[in-house]
Amino acid sequence: MRYLPGSSTPRHFAFSAHASRIALAAIALSIGLVTAPPTHAAGDAVANAINAVGEFTVFRTDGIQEQLEGKGSLPLYEGDTVKTGTGSQGLLEFSNGIQVALNEDTQFVILSRWEESKGFTRILRLSAGEVWVKTMGGPKPLEIETPVATAAVKQTEFDIKVQPDGQTTLTVVEGIVEFGTAFGTCPIRTSTISYGNRGKKCTKPAPVDVAPNVAWAQGIRQ
Amino acid sequence: MNQRITFSTPLLISMPLLLGALLTGCETMQKLVSTPKPQGLNTRVYSANESSNTVTVMDGDTYQVLGEIDTLNYGPHDMALSRDGKQLWVTNLANGRVSVIDTDSRKTIASIYTGTRAHVVALTNNNKHAWVANIADNTISIIDTTIYRILGTIPVSKGPMGIAFSRDGKFAYVSTQDKMVNVIDTAAHQVIKQIPVGPNPHFLILGPDGRIWGTNTGSNDIYVIDPNTQEIAGSIEVGPAPQQIAFALKGTAGPNAYVTVTGLNKVVVVNATSPALSIREQIDVGEGPNGIWANAVGTTVYVGHTKSNNVMVIDTGTSQVSATLPVGKKPIRVVASR
Repeated sequence: MRYLPGSSTPRHFAFSAHASRIALAAIALSIGLVTAPPTHAAGDAVANAINAVGEFTVFRTDGIQEQLEGKGSLPLYEGDTVKTGTGSQGLLEFSNGIQVALNEDTQFVILSRWEESKGFTRILRLSAGEVWVKTMGGPKPLEIETPVATAAVKQTEFDIKVQPDGQTTLTVVEGIVEFGTAFGTCPIRTSTISYGNRGKKCTKPAPVDVAPNVAWAQGIRQ
Repeated sequence: MNQRITFSTPLLISMPLLLGALLTGCETMQKLVSTPKPQGLNTRVYSANESSNTVTVMDGDTYQVLGEIDTLNYGPHDMALSRDGKQLWVTNLANGRVSVIDTDSRKTIASIYTGTRAHVVALTNNNKHAWVANIADNTISIIDTTIYRILGTIPVSKGPMGIAFSRDGKFAYVSTQDKMVNVIDTAAHQVIKQIPVGPNPHFLILGPDGRIWGTNTGSNDIYVIDPNTQEIAGSIEVGPAPQQIAFALKGTAGPNAYVTVTGLNKVVVVNATSPALSIREQIDVGEGPNGIWANAVGTTVYVGHTKSNNVMVIDTGTSQVSATLPVGKKPIRVVASR
C-alpha cells in the first residue's frame, strides 16, 4: 500500500492494486452488481518518464526525490510533482497513451478527478513553464490546470505555457480544446491560439503558425 | 361624540411608500422567513464526521438519523449545501480533496483534488462555483459546480481558514492564520485588502444584517466586518476557543448570533440586531461544541460535539435541548437545508 496522508488519492481507491481487485470482485459477487472498476488504484504507476535532457526531477508525496538521466523508465504516481531545470526537457508517457513533453523550467503535479458517471480524468496542475501534449489511440480525457485556466481535451495535440503571473497561452496543433477560466469557456481549434488571464474570459481564438510554438518538443520526442 | 379619522390625499399616496420603507427596515427579519413547508418533509441536517470519514444525514424536523454517507476520502471537515439542497460539497482535510454528494441518492458522486489540507468550502451566491481554501497551499481553488473542473486558483495570505461572500456577491472574505481577513474582488479574483483581526481567525459567515461575522479562536472573541467600509465594526469576547456561528430567533428577540464556544461547552448567544454587540445568554450543551446551523425559520439550532460525537437539537425559544442524535466520530461541521 502506497497511500500516505499527504496523498491526493481518493480513499475509496487507496488500496494496493491486488487488494483492490480482490475486494471489488468480492463486492460485485456478493451483491450481484457489476460496477465499473476504477481505471487505476494507488500503487499503480500512472505514467513513465521515458526521456530527459538535463535536470529532470520527480518529487514523491512522501518527500523522496528521484531523477531521470537520458532515456529510461521512471514510474510516476498520482500526487507526484515533476520538474525540469533551466535548459532541461523531459518526456512522459501515460498508461492510457497520452504523451507529455516538458520544456525547461516547467513544473506540474499529477492529479485526477473521479466522477461516478465518468470515472477518472487525468489532471496535470501546471504551475510553471510549458508542456506539449498529444493524445493517441482514441479519445483520452485529460485536463491541464493553470492558476487562471483549464484546458480540457479528449483527442488532440496542443502546447500550453504558463507565465509567473498565471497568464496562460494555449496553442492547438490539431483537434479541439475546451479552454476555460472562471469567467467563461472558449473552444480552441486546430492552428489557433488563445490566452487566459486572471479575472477575464479566455481570448477568442486567433489563427497562428503552430510550428514555431511546438518546435521545442521535437528534440525530446526523438 | 363620534370621532372620525380622515386621511388627506397626500397621506394616502405616501402610505404605500411608508409601508415599503418599514419593510425595508425589516430586511433582517425577512431573511429568516421561509415559505410554508409540509410538515416533516424538508429539513435535512448533515454533520461532517472528521474521524469516521462520513457525513451523517438527519431529519431536522423529526430528529431522526436517516443514514451515513461515505465521503470516499479522508477527514471530512467543512460542508456547503447548494440552495436547492441537491448537492453537498465536503472538504476532506487529510487528503486535500472535495467530495460532491448527491443528497437524493446519498452517494458521493465526485472527488476533486484541490490542494494540501483542503479546509473549508463555500458556494458562490449563484451556486455556480465552489471556493475551497487550501490551508497549506495558501490558495483558494475555484471549482465549476456543474462539470467539477477547477477553473482558477487565487493566492491568499498564509493559512486560509474561513470563507464567506458578501450579500451582493461582489466580495469574498477569507480569514487566514496570519491574523488577517483577505477581501477578494470576485470580479477580478484579486485580493484588494487585508483586514487585521485576532489570533487564529477561523470561521466566517454572512449575517442577516449583511455584515460578515467571524471568530478569533485564539483570542476568545468574535468580530463583525462592515462590507461598506471593509473595516471591523465591532467585536465581543465570548469565551475560550469560539468556533462557529449561526443566526436564529428567540421569540420576538433576534436575530441572534449563536456561537459555539468549545472551551466553555456552551453556546453563547449574542444580540445581532444592534451595531453594539452584547451577550444575551449562554446555553449549556455537550462536550466540544463546534459546528452549528439554524433551521430556515430560526427556531432551532443544531450543534455538533466533537468529543461526545453527537448533534444536539436546541429549541431557541426555550434554550432547551430537544433531542440528541448520535453521529459519526468528531462531527466538526453541521449544515441544514434552507
